[in-house]
Amino acid sequence: MIEATNVVKVFSGRSVTVRAVDGVSAQVAKGEVVVVIGPSGSGKSTFLRCINGLEAFNEGHILIDGVDLADRKTDLNAVRAEVGMVFQQFNLFPHKTVLENLTLAQRVVRKRSRKDAGVKARNLLSKVGIAEKESEYPSRLSGGQQQRVAIARALAMDPKIMLFDEPTSALDPEMVGEVLDVMKQLAREGMTMCVVTHEMGFAREVADRVLFMDEGKLVEEGTPEHFFTNPTEARTKLFLSQVL
Amino acid sequence: MAGVPKKSPSQLPWVLLLAAILIVLAAGTWGAVRKIDYAWRWNRVPQYFFYHGEEAVKIPFDGRVEQITPAGRKTSVRLLSEEGTAVTVKVDKELLKVSEGDELFEGDTVGFKYRWRLGPLMFGLWTTLWISGVASVLALVIGLLTGLCRVSKNLTLRGLAAIYVEFIRGTPLLVQIFIAYFFIGTVFNLNRNVAGVGALGIFAGAYVAEIVRAGIQSIPRGQMEAARSLGMSVFQAMIHIILPQALKRILPPLAGQFISLIKDSSLVSVIAITDLTKSGREIITSTFATFEVWLTVAAMYLVVTSLMSQLVFYLERRFAVSD
Repeated sequence: MIEATNVVKVFSGRSVTVRAVDGVSAQVAKGEVVVVIGPSGSGKSTFLRCINGLEAFNEGHILIDGVDLADRKTDLNAVRAEVGMVFQQFNLFPHKTVLENLTLAQRVVRKRSRKDAGVKARNLLSKVGIAEKESEYPSRLSGGQQQRVAIARALAMDPKIMLFDEPTSALDPEMVGEVLDVMKQLAREGMTMCVVTHEMGFAREVADRVLFMDEGKLVEEGTPEHFFTNPTEARTKLFLSQVL
Repeated sequence: MAGVPKKSPSQLPWVLLLAAILIVLAAGTWGAVRKIDYAWRWNRVPQYFFYHGEEAVKIPFDGRVEQITPAGRKTSVRLLSEEGTAVTVKVDKELLKVSEGDELFEGDTVGFKYRWRLGPLMFGLWTTLWISGVASVLALVIGLLTGLCRVSKNLTLRGLAAIYVEFIRGTPLLVQIFIAYFFIGTVFNLNRNVAGVGALGIFAGAYVAEIVRAGIQSIPRGQMEAARSLGMSVFQAMIHIILPQALKRILPPLAGQFISLIKDSSLVSVIAITDLTKSGREIITSTFATFEVWLTVAAMYLVVTSLMSQLVFYLERRFAVSD
């Protein structure tokens, strides 16, 4: 489903250039849940943003369902419509109601009718448990509710893959659970997911595979059991000893 | 909102101080004017807003006055042509110039009617309003397009927009109006109104562009990213996500710019467009009521700009629903 080979992303400033992603190769199979962990600044978010073309990478290839993002002829908008993304800061559209947040892209990008988009949106809102808030503006919702709306908004496009960029990092602790529950449910339904997170519990419970990144490089990957009980790399051990 | 119900300190002393300062200023002005021995003639001003003018009523054919009947303060006159068609006209009672049986030729005056007419100040105001209105629309269109160019990834568009903004903001509007009328207007054979409105619109457009650019850049990057992540093109994201939010934010500075535009429109009087300012100048040449007329003209600009501020205040509150 996702095939990344030797992806390099360089940020060049006036005085320094940073290889934020430094030759990462990874695969995510259909229906698989892959969790990417690592210290902040390790390039895991940048890598995730490369996967849906929000960040243009300098070298390597990323194939989504066989379509190469590095190919100049690829229509990135079409690819992005198939790849849902959930952000740390929710990024809901503040000038639109919850329902409009869910229907806008369906109508503009998928060309669905107002009615069809509305039906789809309401189904998803009740799935994430906030059907009663459909005519509220996002600013009236709690962080957890906003993030659930954001997940529903991405799902409304019927994506083949869902990317989560630290979806619980900006939430108050008591709201983390409700968002993780929605994500777990998605995983159970067989959605292909790639999740950047600091929630080790989620990784252990839901992930099929865990990737550990540090300083732009993919250091170690494996099943959660392997990863949390018996990591091979020294850097992984150090990181785990700090966070667990 | 924060809990503690505190008794707010009385504002009365400050209100009194404000009133005292205003009274001192007014008294000072009055005293200064007394000193220069200026004879105020405010009674000359109202006629330049509205005046009661006479209008001649003429016979549309060769014929005669068949019948005259009084109708209140007016008089009804029935005219009969040589072919036998009849018309009835009304004139003021005291200003009837014919009597029954008179033979008249086409275009002869039957009498006069009094009628309220708009004076030069009102015509000037109207000119100022439409010039500002058309120039504002022009400025908004130019400003929006240029603002988008300013944030574009394309270097050519960005460069062109930057040069335009620098050029316009770096030269005086008065000079731009002269160039628009005497140079560009001569080359392309433009009339003075087109040159005036064009110069104003292009001038304000540069400032609007900067406001639009700042507005777009004030929207968090995440908004564009979220829109793109849903598969929208840059254009779709601009139309549906970025611009609606930016427009809401830039409404106050935009209003300030349009208020400036109304005031700046007084400069088109230099290319002989009879706007409010030029009307004022013309009235002064015939009345010598310099102080009164300029104060009146200033008050008229103030009324228009205040109404504009109120309108924007209302719009701001309406747009605030999603906050």
